[in-house]
Amino acid sequence: MRGTLALASLRRNASRTLLAVLGVAIAAAMLLDMVMLSTGLRESFRELLVSRGFQLRLSPRGTLPFDTEATISGAGTIIALLRTNPAVVTVSPVLGASVHVPGADSTVASFALGIIPAVEGDYELVAGRDATADNALVANADFLRATGAHLGDTLRVAAGYNPQLRSFVEERQLVVAGRARFVYLSSGEPAVAMPLHTLQEMTGNVQDDRISLLMVKTRDGANPDSVGAWIERQVPRVQAISTQQALEQVDQRLSYFRQLSYILGAVSLVVGFLLVTTLVTVSVNERVGEIAVMRAIGVSRAHVVQQILLEGSAISAVGAALGLALGLVTARYLNTILSSFPGLPARIDFFLFQPRAAWIALGLLVLSGIAAGVYPSWRAASLPVARTLREEAIA
Amino acid sequence: MLILLSCLLALHVPMQVRAQQPAVSHAPAAGSLSTPASPPHTSAPRTIAIDGRLAADAGLHVGDRVVVSSTPDGQGDTVRIGAVVQRRADPSEIARNEYEVRLHLDQLQSLIGYGDRVDRFAVATRDSAATRQALAAINQAAFGFHAYRSTAIAVETSETFKVVSRFHRAIGVITIVASAVFLLCILLLKVDERRRDVAALRLIGISRGSVMRSVVIEAAAVAVLGSVLGVGIGLVTSGIVNTYYEALYRTPLRFSIVTPGIVLFAVVLSLVLGVGAGFLAARRLVRTPPLALLGR
Repeated sequence: MRGTLALASLRRNASRTLLAVLGVAIAAAMLLDMVMLSTGLRESFRELLVSRGFQLRLSPRGTLPFDTEATISGAGTIIALLRTNPAVVTVSPVLGASVHVPGADSTVASFALGIIPAVEGDYELVAGRDATADNALVANADFLRATGAHLGDTLRVAAGYNPQLRSFVEERQLVVAGRARFVYLSSGEPAVAMPLHTLQEMTGNVQDDRISLLMVKTRDGANPDSVGAWIERQVPRVQAISTQQALEQVDQRLSYFRQLSYILGAVSLVVGFLLVTTLVTVSVNERVGEIAVMRAIGVSRAHVVQQILLEGSAISAVGAALGLALGLVTARYLNTILSSFPGLPARIDFFLFQPRAAWIALGLLVLSGIAAGVYPSWRAASLPVARTLREEAIA
Repeated sequence: MLILLSCLLALHVPMQVRAQQPAVSHAPAAGSLSTPASPPHTSAPRTIAIDGRLAADAGLHVGDRVVVSSTPDGQGDTVRIGAVVQRRADPSEIARNEYEVRLHLDQLQSLIGYGDRVDRFAVATRDSAATRQALAAINQAAFGFHAYRSTAIAVETSETFKVVSRFHRAIGVITIVASAVFLLCILLLKVDERRRDVAALRLIGISRGSVMRSVVIEAAAVAVLGSVLGVGIGLVTSGIVNTYYEALYRTPLRFSIVTPGIVLFAVVLSLVLGVGAGFLAARRLVRTPPLALLGR
């Protein structure tokens, strides 16, 4: 009966109820989007970092991986040292450089990675073969499109140029062995990967055995931070960055979005609460006579309170359900905007749907809707019956 | 064609900066005066400029001697801090915690073994015609590099902030739509609360138009008052945002600016939304027969 009466009360002013539900839905959508934004980037970045199974990244001290052109010398010595630690399972050295592919009319500049195919963690092979031969390379779709090359083609690839002589230097004939998807690169950036030794020869880094980065996979159960601390003691000129530390760096650089999400999320919650409170209060004020009659015929205070709380809860629950759908749509749109950040890995999402966080947020909104009905329901239940009936009869 | 060439080596190489240990001096024996042994003659160290952040964090001042090297354990060069520079209000640098050190070009080239190479040239020309000529001449002769107008570079490097602007605009549109819905809802509720008053007015002969005008004027007044309050809140919030983020990122960049144009847009928008919501709420009410409004 409480449900029937609550429903009848809401249907009596259908347009008003619909508007209130729409308002709560928009507040719910905004709240959901902000919850997704506050944790989405961090989670998305964490998934990206652990996707290839490497827990540590070693870069030149004072820098983040590929943030500068600094390199680490003596890679072979460092790798041999790392392998003496039983907690270290795999070590993957990486050298980054720019290469040029001269064409008939123009030259394509591309990012190049020197890797060891057996232990690499930078790309997923999509077609063809890996770059196991000294004269092989794998390329992404952007590179193949820019150069017009196909699998099996042989390309002239140069590591530098001499502007005075107007010629390319350190050229090699390399065969496009496979097509790959580079995990950490932004969309639209041409990239190739080739054997580390080949790129070191082309860029003059063989003598010093220079690389840009070392990725380290630790044994299950090993503490990556402890292994990182051991590495930094053994090799002071490198900095070991665990997944957790990398996430903290990202958090610091993009703290603005997290703060914005907290502020807008709090505002959405408050607005949703105020909307439901206003609607329920006005609805109660209009029905004082009806409530007084109910009390006069013996309906208990608790029954009246429950009916009014039910009205507020119904608006919040329906609004939250609509808001979930609306929020997912707007999150997709907003994610499309933010994903076009230059230099951001293509796989990063700013808005990530995490069921637990989403349900908690929407649950909070429904609870606030219930709480919004407390004051008006208490007022309604506390009406002096006789006086209210007299005033309503005269009015 | 008058062209000034300035070579810039803007290489992102981490430099190590270490303060020199102060020399230990011995007091002369009591009752005698002697001059302390003068240090062996060395050439004066070259000067560098460091940014304010590095100076504050490392406790460095103008005149201090430091060692700069390209590796953590390298010998490097002893230099003297000649200046502490304030960072520009460059949006592309705010999220980066790097320190900036400026050295003489040849010294940096020598330190990092770069040879006679630079990363870019900046070219100043006499006028726009000279710029066009210079661009064409350089790009025709260039091999392995390209000349760009400064404005083109600025557009390219502003891409990050264009993305942020688009995001803010999208949030703004969603907020305006949400506000319009909330406003309409609240106005409908408030107008509905006075249905009996409106019924009485209609029954004594007040026209529909008069009732509607009174509601719309009331909604407009609320919108104007709300706008004034909103502008005040916006100015205060803008000040808080700037104070907070300037301190957080240690930058002179202003993150929020309230311009007369923005104020005018906000006031006009709130007026339009307020009057529109009032009109819709009033129209709904005056269309209902007075006796129905009274519940008869």
